[in-house]
Amino acid sequence: MSRTLVIQLARLGDLVQTMPMITALRKQYPRDTIDLLCPEPLRDLGTLIPGLDRVIGWDGARWHRWAERAIQGIQPDQRKEIEQELAALCPHIYDRAFVLNQHTRAIVAGTLLAKECVGPLAQGPLSEQLTPWAAYVREIARTRRSNRIHLSDAFCGMCGLLPPGTPPRCLTPLISPSRNLEQIGRGGGPWIGIIVGAGDPARLVPVDVWRAWIVRFLAVLPRGRVVLIGHGAECERARDIQQPLPPSILGRIWDITGQTTIHELAQTLTRCQHVIGSDTGPLHLAAAVGTPTLGWYFARARVHETGPYGSGHRIWQAQSEDGGPVVPATWPIEPSLDVLLSESPRTQPQWSQWTSQTDEWGTYYSEAGQSSAPPREREALWHELSHAMPV
Amino acid sequence: MNLLQTHLDGIRKTFPDLVSAVTESAGGVLTIAQSREGSPSATQEGQWIHSAYDPRKEAQSWATLQAKEWHAGELGVVLGVGLLYHVEALVASKPLGARLAVVISDIAAFKDALAVRPLGPWFNAIEWIWGNSDEMATQLASKSAPLRFFTYAPAARPYAAQHQALDVELRRLLATRQHGRLHVAVVGPIYGGSLPITKYVVRALESLGHRVSWVDHSIHHASYERFNTFRDPRHRLSMQSRFADVLSMGTLTELSEDPPDLVLAMAQAPMSLGALEHLRRKKFMTAMWFVENYRHLTYWQQLAPGYDYWFTIQQKDCHDALRRAGAPHVSYLPMAADPSVHRPLTLATNEQLEFGSDLSFVGAGYANRRAVLPRWISKDWTFKVWGNEWEGADAVAPILQRNGARIDTDTCLKVFNATAINLNLHSNTGEGLDPAADFVNPRTFELAAAGAFQLVDQRALLPECFTEDEIVSFEATDEVPSLIRTWLRDPVGRRTIADTARQRVLRQHTYEHRMKDLLAELGMREPDRLGSILRGERTAEVLAAQTTTPSELTPMLRQFAPDQRVELKDLAAQIRARGPRTELSREDLLILMLESYRTETRDLV
Repeated sequence: MSRTLVIQLARLGDLVQTMPMITALRKQYPRDTIDLLCPEPLRDLGTLIPGLDRVIGWDGARWHRWAERAIQGIQPDQRKEIEQELAALCPHIYDRAFVLNQHTRAIVAGTLLAKECVGPLAQGPLSEQLTPWAAYVREIARTRRSNRIHLSDAFCGMCGLLPPGTPPRCLTPLISPSRNLEQIGRGGGPWIGIIVGAGDPARLVPVDVWRAWIVRFLAVLPRGRVVLIGHGAECERARDIQQPLPPSILGRIWDITGQTTIHELAQTLTRCQHVIGSDTGPLHLAAAVGTPTLGWYFARARVHETGPYGSGHRIWQAQSEDGGPVVPATWPIEPSLDVLLSESPRTQPQWSQWTSQTDEWGTYYSEAGQSSAPPREREALWHELSHAMPV
Repeated sequence: MNLLQTHLDGIRKTFPDLVSAVTESAGGVLTIAQSREGSPSATQEGQWIHSAYDPRKEAQSWATLQAKEWHAGELGVVLGVGLLYHVEALVASKPLGARLAVVISDIAAFKDALAVRPLGPWFNAIEWIWGNSDEMATQLASKSAPLRFFTYAPAARPYAAQHQALDVELRRLLATRQHGRLHVAVVGPIYGGSLPITKYVVRALESLGHRVSWVDHSIHHASYERFNTFRDPRHRLSMQSRFADVLSMGTLTELSEDPPDLVLAMAQAPMSLGALEHLRRKKFMTAMWFVENYRHLTYWQQLAPGYDYWFTIQQKDCHDALRRAGAPHVSYLPMAADPSVHRPLTLATNEQLEFGSDLSFVGAGYANRRAVLPRWISKDWTFKVWGNEWEGADAVAPILQRNGARIDTDTCLKVFNATAINLNLHSNTGEGLDPAADFVNPRTFELAAAGAFQLVDQRALLPECFTEDEIVSFEATDEVPSLIRTWLRDPVGRRTIADTARQRVLRQHTYEHRMKDLLAELGMREPDRLGSILRGERTAEVLAAQTTTPSELTPMLRQFAPDQRVELKDLAAQIRARGPRTELSREDLLILMLESYRTETRDLV
């Protein structure tokens, strides 16, 4: 029985996209100890990922403070404090670490906490030579060309694993929802979660577009309900969306921005029939809890790079002539409503529409009006990149 | 035995002279009053110096806040004695290995404090600093620890002047001991009077051995001027403002490529408040030398909270105004001269003829100069006026040289050296002498450094820069003609005074002196950041010898030149330079980890 540590120190979306890799790892090593090291603020999310024995929070803020002090020189008391922290995190060194980020801190953490480190670098933390999978992921990010292998599946490839075949689902959070959240998903319907904000300001859907979407949605589906989803800093945006709406409509909107923990958010997303938005992190989480997503991808968001994992997710991708970032002039309001009405979505000028599928090589997206067969180059890529796999 | 005697007995052995001074003092400065909570509180000159409700609780809150910045190995220095509640609370919050000193500005008030309430054993462990400002500065400078100042404002306020004097003297003493090498980014203006001063500052810092990155925005002057050609003033202002924002962003990018220890901006540097706030978030230390009259140029109001440290050429009202506008620290730093530029010249006969006269004035045609200078035209002496912006000044036209063209620094120096009496009239927008005559302009120092004789209008801050033997000043315009007559008749006297003034500049008023002062002030306020570098504690040799350095680091430090400054980033670079196949120790890995976080903190772009 071996002890394995999976290291994922990036953001919410990346952590959710690590789930298939953890599932594949568990499938291959059912008796091993498999722990996850993730950012401390996302530790609760980690506890929803199936297949893990323990979730360890990495306190980046504390490392920032140590680094700030270390600029003045490393003192023995600080060294002691760091060692104590590392010992508390991992009392026993792991047999191996799978490092999924290309950042120095993740690679160094893997080298510190495990005897063997499988990661993006071929020869340890000082190496500049990437493994074939890591080189592929970096190249895709740099050139922004269509990534026909989903990032979740690339994580599997990086660790010498094949995709799990069936997209994994998050565990159900064991919490009693607050009174406000308890009503969501009960009575009426469909319940649609709208992700009101976006981490990148360039990816924000204008407030009046969301307002127009809500008005149209409640007109075509009068029993429908809307749940406004977002963190504390997005409360004002949610208020702006609702402000000019008539009171009759307001009674059908649940604004829970700033009111949910990660577990409550996951539970809320489970209770929605669809989730729509442009912020990829919550869309990934919605997909992971099994809720179909409708994504509007523009600015620098790319369906092939960050489309939700699994089957049946729909993405509208704003088109640009040169492949650069796009600021849309129109929005796919009607096509997304068509999906909710179970109708074939109409086309939207300047946007292409994509639907996700899953096969043995993982998840892929196919464009509406084109063949839904998996892109041929995917399998070839798997063979090419896996030929020189580190494990 | 009464409380006073008990307390004095506790420190008699260590501070016998202080005990004698307290014994001889009459006391009676503080008025003791009971607080609501029951413990004694006090007023001084009618003002409460501790809480009237609960002095202990108030002291505790104050101490908790102060102790956050206090590190092991530092000597905390408290300004403001009061009834010592705050000192007691600070002792309780003291980090391991730190010491505490208290500055006694008034022995009588101290005596009052000792008689009011029983003080614990902590009292005997305090390092008491007392005497005149020179003595106190010497005592503090001799302490072998970085100083961390804590000002308890209610009790310190009545002694602000003494504390200011202590600060100046201590700064002077510490300036003489600087030997560490800093990396300073100097951010200059696009154009204007602070541009040449920026050059002098850069040169001074380099002469002192620091590494300087000059963020020179004067290269953008032509583009900035281009916007002046727009007819609609709204277009002009909008474009110039946006251009300044772009330059501000450019500065951040430049700083991010080679992060300095200190960002020193000169007046008019295009730095927006947003950029300064960003720098603070990223832990960059910023300072501004505002070499402007704060009454005339008021952009400081918007920028006051942005810079960590302000240095101004004015005092009192200027400092109060900046503090009210949100400036965290404000210090006085007068103008200066650069002796490599402002120097005596030997002129050829033709130059003497061209640039020489009995009386001359070099400068722009401000309103007061237009009104005053014509009064000093006389058939008894030759008078030449040099400089630009004299359009429409008909009374000056006959003596205006080169049709009012702008003249460069070299020409200025020739005029200074060729003239018997240089007039130095501080500018203002009124018709006479400056009614708020406080700061001393750069011209005063430049003329003195050039060994040129000058008559200058009196300034409140002039006497602390020059004595009457070094500079001749006037308080009213009607004094000037007789002064001109007197000094024209006395070439030997003029030479003596000019030489003495030049010696004073070389001794105390060069830009090197100013930069030493500025860095000493910053080193004093930031003992663990700039202070430790300036004290030379960051060199490989000193770090390796320090008992506080982890032993595992010593072999690594030995690989650097002994006098090389070594930072976390240098250690990380050394590890990386070993190549990808190197076996890394735990120490190496921790350094790489900390460095990755440090890089992110300092990543401005």
